[in-house]
Amino acid sequence: MPQKPAHYQRLSPRENLELFARLERVPEPKDAANRYMSLLDLPDDGRLTAELSAGNQQRLNLAVALLAGPDVLLLDEPTASLDPRQRRILWEVAAAVREREGAVVFATQNLEELERFATRVAALVDGELVFDGSLEQFKASPEADVFA
Amino acid sequence: MRRIGLLLRKDLRVLGRSPVLLAALIVYPLVFAALVGAVVRYAGDRPTIAFVDLDRLPDKLTVGGQTFNVPQVLDQVNENAELVEMDQEEADRKLENGEVNAEIIVPRGFASRLRGMVESPELILKTARGGVATRVEQQTQALVYELNQRLQDAYIDANLEYVRLIVQGGTGTFLGNEFDVVGLERAGELLTEIEQTTKDPAIAARARELSNFVRQAQLALGASDESLHATANPIQLEIDTEAGRSWLLSAQLQAYALALTLAFICVLLAAAAIASERDENVIGRLARGLVRLTDLVVVKVALAALVAVVLGLVIALVFGLLATVFDVTGGEPWTRLPLLALGLVVAGAAFGAFGVLVGVVAREARTAVLVAFLVALPLVLLGLLPEGTVEAARLISKAFPFSHAVDFFQSSLYDVDPWPTIAREAAWLAGLAVAFGAAARLGMRRLLA
Repeated sequence: MPQKPAHYQRLSPRENLELFARLERVPEPKDAANRYMSLLDLPDDGRLTAELSAGNQQRLNLAVALLAGPDVLLLDEPTASLDPRQRRILWEVAAAVREREGAVVFATQNLEELERFATRVAALVDGELVFDGSLEQFKASPEADVFA
Repeated sequence: MRRIGLLLRKDLRVLGRSPVLLAALIVYPLVFAALVGAVVRYAGDRPTIAFVDLDRLPDKLTVGGQTFNVPQVLDQVNENAELVEMDQEEADRKLENGEVNAEIIVPRGFASRLRGMVESPELILKTARGGVATRVEQQTQALVYELNQRLQDAYIDANLEYVRLIVQGGTGTFLGNEFDVVGLERAGELLTEIEQTTKDPAIAARARELSNFVRQAQLALGASDESLHATANPIQLEIDTEAGRSWLLSAQLQAYALALTLAFICVLLAAAAIASERDENVIGRLARGLVRLTDLVVVKVALAALVAVVLGLVIALVFGLLATVFDVTGGEPWTRLPLLALGLVVAGAAFGAFGVLVGVVAREARTAVLVAFLVALPLVLLGLLPEGTVEAARLISKAFPFSHAVDFFQSSLYDVDPWPTIAREAAWLAGLAVAFGAAARLGMRRLLA
């Protein structure tokens, strides 16, 4: 899921979900759209996506990414524009992917999120990998101070 | 194909949500077509010509007994070309810097040669190279033709006067010299008198022979009036300005209106549509296995072709209805609609492919629209230049779909046998669509960056 929303601004959230579900060849595109509209609490009043708040657009972004039921979910700063409630919803959805033996890889600058949701950490400084290990090893490493 | 259909439906839905933009895109080219049509029509028809009178023509010029009002003749010429009187130096300078399209010079001795009716006086025409030179030559030839026609009547009347002198006898003048002529009528009378009074049968026989010749000559010269006029005008052109279509409903304007509308709408639409996939950050998502980049090009070209067919048919229906309501003759606006639809598809696709290429190069939707407009405008104007004016412009415009679309539409709607033109122009348009589409596909990676 890209950091910037990647969907059509002049379609409603439902229209976006149905279109991408069809492109992903999801068996029941309307049902899939219904499921993610409800799961991510997206507005269903016919408004165009361009008229939605940044948080709603980010959740739609996540919904589109989840449509095909990916085994690996790549999230780039997923909570950057979300309020606390929306963040909680996002991590619940991400947790569901992990529970079905998938993987969630997310880029963040928020250490609190790292501690709560990550099991393995890779740290980049100026584009170079400076650490790769478990969360516990990271917390004990000097690199953790750089991000603190 | 299914994914192409899905994205095409999405594009149409998005387009339908911008009715003001759509209306502006339709109205603008139509107004533009009318304006450009008017400019091209009048600019092409009335070149400015410097008139240099070295002979100082009098206001009234008498040729063969007929008097010509020179200012009045020049006024009549002004309907086809704007004649501006000036001295030679000024005319030469203005021709050099392009302020006038040509220069007509009346050399010294022109009027006296004209009056003499022995040798043809000459008018001298100077034109600039290239540009509208050919059209100016045509206009000037038309002007000389018109003047010749008027002078011709005077020449014929003068010649007929000599014929009457030969038949009836009397006193005449030639090159200022007076002379007496017996005339065929009097000659006949004299010969009859000789025949009746002579006692020599040989002289009477010769006089009878000569009398017969005189009668035959009188009969032949009696018909000279009509035959001289017929020889001067083997074919007479009768001009009926009421026949045919009015300019506003002409085949040319209709073809231009269709092609202009398509040129702007399809190019701008396709350019904006492909660039907006990047603006909305969707192209990366689509390119990750959902849709091939080639399919995306095809979707935008198909969108342009579809819009071209719908808009083109609406415009053709409006023209057809107006032609029916005003009972205008010429053309087959209804039966040829399917043929026109074929042209709209290929022309729309060619314009669309060009638009996609512009969008790919520009990358951002707003820039793409601006660039598309800036590129399409001069290319369309090149296609509007009349044939035979600027050869280079004509060649460049061949590499753009506009002139091919105009020829296709005009032929499909009005030619008695449109197939050769349609086949040629359809091949051109399809070829341009493929070429522009292929170039656009090569550049598609730019949108992923």
